[in-house]
Parts: sequence; structure tokens; C-alpha cells
Amino acid sequence: MASVTASSVKFSPASSLIKQNQVSNLKKASVSFTGNGFQSHRLPVRRFRIACAAKPETVSKVVDIVKKQLALPDDRDVCGESKFSVLGADSLDTVEIVMGLEEEFGICVEEESAQSISTVQEAADLIEELLEKK
Amino acid sequence: MRRGFSRMNLHCFDRTFIRSSHSLNAVQLPAPMETHLWYVNPSEVKSESLLKQYLDILSPCERENVLRLQGEEMRKSALLARALVRTTIAKYQMNSPVEPRSLKFRKNMHGKPEVCWPSIDDWDPPPLHFNLSHTSSLIACGVTINSQIGIDVEEKKRSIKHDILSFARRYFSKYEVELLAAISDPQVQQREFIKLWTLKEAYVKALGKGFSGAPFKTFTIRFQGVMEGDSEAFDESSTKGFEIVVDSLDDPTDVSNTWQFSLLELDGSHYAAICTEKQSALDGKINIPGKLMVWKTIPIIEDEYVSGTDAVKVICGFQ
Repeated sequence: MASVTASSVKFSPASSLIKQNQVSNLKKASVSFTGNGFQSHRLPVRRFRIACAAKPETVSKVVDIVKKQLALPDDRDVCGESKFSVLGADSLDTVEIVMGLEEEFGICVEEESAQSISTVQEAADLIEELLEKK
Repeated sequence: MRRGFSRMNLHCFDRTFIRSSHSLNAVQLPAPMETHLWYVNPSEVKSESLLKQYLDILSPCERENVLRLQGEEMRKSALLARALVRTTIAKYQMNSPVEPRSLKFRKNMHGKPEVCWPSIDDWDPPPLHFNLSHTSSLIACGVTINSQIGIDVEEKKRSIKHDILSFARRYFSKYEVELLAAISDPQVQQREFIKLWTLKEAYVKALGKGFSGAPFKTFTIRFQGVMEGDSEAFDESSTKGFEIVVDSLDDPTDVSNTWQFSLLELDGSHYAAICTEKQSALDGKINIPGKLMVWKTIPIIEDEYVSGTDAVKVICGFQ
């Protein structure tokens, strides 16, 4: 009997289904909720990419930087889904984390992008996006 | 010092609040040129039963957010932050129709939290503006009636992981970097850095457009001699006769005519920066610097008016 092993589907950046300019258009989209009339321009901007999540090595480096900045013990569980605010980062910590990421990866993170990252995964995704553009 | 931009989106259609007397002492609304500041020191709140009472006045969503945090200290300060803002705002109502637990919050179009008042017959909600800031060791809530407000608190001794000048070069304006670079004593430099950080944060929060609405590099905050109107060399020991002003690279209008600042030292341990709109900007009249009133509080339990005492040292600005 044939066994089927599931494997995660990964798109390499070169075959990303969404073009660069479409990504940036989506980034600028404002989200409004009908029904209660509240608009929020400050929702985390999700990068609407079907492309893969960041490489595990990138996530791991982000985790290291975050743990170091927040002085978390090594055994504290920090993963892609971990939110900076829940880990105890205030705004000064978050800015320092972004600066640490810039130094580690040799990138420059605009304020608008920095504002939209709230988890380790989002930071890693943004890093890889910026590295692609280089 | 969190920006207090919590992620709650609540509807304000719940009319099932209860009219009852509660133990909060009612307070007069700030006068047009007044700013009220309420702060709490978490280490002074020890009673478990009191913390349970605070938990009880939070919305279910807020409660969930608090309990999700890892670490008792973090949970306590997050809890106190919500309890502080709810009890503080509730104090300002006439006839107290809305209990602290019944207050609803929403975000305005820029994402800044504001109160969503219920509509009640024959009752006008207090026209409040507020802003919250917290560190693990101090939580503060500023209140005004007709002006935007932004506040930020930070421990005086807060150190950052990066070298201060590297950080400043990356995020601060050229003028601010030069000012910090000119300070040779590292301790003084660190304190001036923290003061600048809190002032810049307070300004961005007052604007209410988030970090990207006014990137730190695009504006300069500086101490300006009131007499001469020129920037003076900064003297840490005394800033009497100085005012804090903001210059914006992006904003063609004279932003320094709109915003005023106050910088305080609270309990000898924290800097607090407050940014509000100038009265003259709001109604065109000649600007009279506002009055600042400060209370130290343990929510529900006691309020202590501390302006003019050792607990509040005005470093610069309106008092």
C-alpha cells in the first residue's frame, strides 16, 4: 500500500504568485469594518503572500535577538507566533529589537513596516522580504 | 512604557449598565487649560483581593489579554493599567451613570484609544481626552477636556542594549544626536536620552497617528530659552526659564505653535512627559500655559493630590 507523506508546499521567492507591486498595493489598503463604522488603519498589515513563511534559520535568529533584548531565560519558549508585547516588550524594546534585526541582517526597516510587526514570524517574514529586494 | 494602544474593538450598544453609587470619589473635569495626571506604583498594591477587584472591572477581552501575559509583574502592571484608566475616567462623570466596568473603549481612525460613551437621556458624557502609559514600575493616565494628549513614562535609570549615540543616530534627529553627543558624562547622557525618548513618544502619542505618522527622525524636540527664543546649551541642573518645543521637518506649519510639553520627575524614580495642544492653537486666543494637577492613586482605594510635593518635580514646562 502506498504511503503518502505530506510535505509542506513551499514557494521560492522567484515563483511568488503575487508580484511585488501588488504586495505594496495591498500593504497600503486600509481596512474598514462595515456595520459599526469603525475604521482601523493600524491593524497589523498582513503581507498577503502565498509565498512561504520565513526560513527556520531566520526565525531562529529573530528569536535569539528577541530573547537577548528582553533578557529572557534560554529555556523560555519563544516561537514564530510569540507576540512581542506578550513577551514583555514595550515600545523602546521593540525599537531596539528592530535595530538589532537591522544590524544582524544588514537591512533597513521603515517605520511603517516596523509598526506592523508584532510577532516573531512577522519580523522574520519582513526580513526575508527586505533581503529579497536587496 | 507601552503606548496603551490596546487591541480592543468593542461595540458601544450595551445599555444594560446599572445606575448606582460606587466608591469612586467624583472629580471635577479639568478646566480648559488644565491637564490632570493620575499615576499608580504597582509595588504599593499588594492586596490579592484588591487585584481581584480590579480584574473584575475589566472587560472580558481585557481580562483575557492580562491573563495571557507571562510573568506576575507583567500581569500586575497590565491589570493596573486597565484598572487605572477605567476608574480614572469614571471619576469625571456627573451623576456617575457609567461604572468603571461598564466603560467601553474603541480606537479612532488613527488607532488611538478613546472612550465610547453610551447615549443616555438627559445626560451628556464628559468631553474627555485621555492617554495611558506604563512601565512595570509606574502606570500613568493623563486627562484633558478639549485637547489631544499624549503621555509617556519611563524609569530614570532605564538603560538600553545599544550604545546611546548609535541608537540616536538611527532614530533621532540630527540636532538631538548632536545634543547628546556633546554630553561627556555617560550618566547624564543616559538621563537626557531617556528624557528625549519620553518627550518624543508623548508627542507621537498626542498626534495619535502611530510611530509611522511622525517618524522620530522627522521632528526635533529641544529646550528653548523663553527669553531669548534661541536654543540654549542644555544645563541639566536647571531648566527654569526654558520651554520644550518641537520642530517638524515634514510639517510646513509651525508645529511648535500647536503643541506644549511638560517633563516631570515622579517619585524620584521616573520621568513623565506630557504633550498637549496649546490653548491658543485650539481657540486662537493668547496662550496661557496650562496648569498641571497630579494625583498618586491606588484605584478604588485612595487618591492623593501630590502636585507641589516632593513626589512631583517639574523639570520643565507647564505646571
